[in-house]
Amino acid sequence: MELTKNITLGIYLPGETSIHRLDPRTKIIATTLLIILLLFIRSYEAYGVFFIFTAAIIYFAGIPPRFALCGLKPMLPVLILMWVFQLFLYSTPDAEVLFSWFIFTATDTGLHMGNMITLRVLFLFTVTTMLTLTTSIVSLTDGLESLLNPLRKIGLPSQELVMTMVIALRFVLILAEELDKIVKAQMARGVAFDRGNFIQKTRKIFPVFLPLFINAFKRAEELIVAMEARSYSGGKGRTKMKTLHMGRVDLAAGGIMILYAALMVFILFSVSPRI
Amino acid sequence: MPIEVTELCHSYKKGTPFEKKVLHDISLRIEDGEFIGLIGPTQSGKTTLAQHFNALFVPQQGRVTVNGCDTTDKKADLISLRHEVGYVFQNPDYQLFAPTVGEDIAFGPINQNLKPAEVENRVEEVMAQVGLDYNNFYNRDIFALSGGQKRRAAIAGVLACKPRILVLDDITAGLDPRGREEILEVVRKLHCNEKITIIFISNSMDEVAELAERIIVVDRGRVAFNSATREVFRQSARLKAIGLELPEIMTITDRLSSCGYNLPDAILNLEEALQSIAENLQKGQVSD
Repeated sequence: MELTKNITLGIYLPGETSIHRLDPRTKIIATTLLIILLLFIRSYEAYGVFFIFTAAIIYFAGIPPRFALCGLKPMLPVLILMWVFQLFLYSTPDAEVLFSWFIFTATDTGLHMGNMITLRVLFLFTVTTMLTLTTSIVSLTDGLESLLNPLRKIGLPSQELVMTMVIALRFVLILAEELDKIVKAQMARGVAFDRGNFIQKTRKIFPVFLPLFINAFKRAEELIVAMEARSYSGGKGRTKMKTLHMGRVDLAAGGIMILYAALMVFILFSVSPRI
Repeated sequence: MPIEVTELCHSYKKGTPFEKKVLHDISLRIEDGEFIGLIGPTQSGKTTLAQHFNALFVPQQGRVTVNGCDTTDKKADLISLRHEVGYVFQNPDYQLFAPTVGEDIAFGPINQNLKPAEVENRVEEVMAQVGLDYNNFYNRDIFALSGGQKRRAAIAGVLACKPRILVLDDITAGLDPRGREEILEVVRKLHCNEKITIIFISNSMDEVAELAERIIVVDRGRVAFNSATREVFRQSARLKAIGLELPEIMTITDRLSSCGYNLPDAILNLEEALQSIAENLQKGQVSD
């Protein structure tokens, strides 16, 4: 029984590869670019190219592929549900009917849409996981903050915003660990989480979430005290122990990203979308 | 209900880059009615080992049998096994969830599908066992309890399942001396009166020395010692090498011995110490 085993989002896997050494800002911009590209992909060819690029990142970052993907396991039911919804609910007037059952009709455009959207979520997850797997939480914060800094002028509290986000990311794992303990404490008193029908199973969730929420509030309170004890007062006038600077690796990465984006844009326009 | 562990291995986060082997080839046996002290430095694997006893962990390698029931067996009834082997966790906040003490304690028996009247009887019985007054505490808000009372409510919640074996995972941590004494008294009574097998995980050598009949020391995932309490504390040098201290009382008697008192080695509690010191003084062996 280990719930935390499959959590990869928000975990940093220390390493010495060039991808690890990239400036966090480069990685954040690259990830954002990849996400934007993903939103426009409408064909399998484009996904093929995207897959090769993602696989290359995973390879060069030295992340075991199985570990990079195991975070997807808990998401599988949602992905399948999404695919099914698209299959039956999406269609265009000229769509060919694949098969129909009861009041549901599956069309070829629905199938295509289902595939596209499922792949999109899959890649979105993998790309963002790669960012957090190769970037420590401290440099992630610094990078985001420095990128958002210009927005301070229009009144955006960038430092506070980033701090909130990073804490949330960090808490994913902490809460999962707590959940693990709570589930075990309930199992020790004879709860069978995998038995019973849907309603019975749902009812078993309440005794788990109550202590989880209470502990989360407690932890939040402790964190506030700890931050105040060290005189945290927001971003104003804070200096950094490590200053960020872009190097040759970042230049090379930037070059690769531009070339890749150009290639993707070319594919997106040249391969005619089916929908 | 003996517990038998044979060549048990366990890795944390197996199959990920964070994989870490926490238990190496552990073999041991715990008989009915024993009081076992399970000690070891932090991160030594004592909790992981203990969670194998009630199948919260199922062996990745090796075997754990409780009363002849192999926990790796797919057909084994792990739910009733967990009612037989109670487990009280270190932090009661992870266990207590119901709004009131009574409802929380009733959670286990309800899972056993007992009749409401029977559940009520059990709740009343175990509340008396842990020293929580039924009339006073039954409807008490869980969050209005003190640390010691929370621990007692947590123990009661586990006892309500009528376990024959009870694993207590560092249940005195963070309690004030009085709360600690009260909890230990509850444990002592459970062992003496109810003849429940106790596996007592602790970081306090004093508690273990006073209560346990046999001590199992786990160090970096291996069994370093597994013998009678007195035997274990005789080997102070090896214990210190592992990073464990001697009980407070022994550091005092050791000092007295080096000052010329003729005391037996490995004195485990205050009474023994007082008696042998008094004998020494009567015989007038000690010269100042």
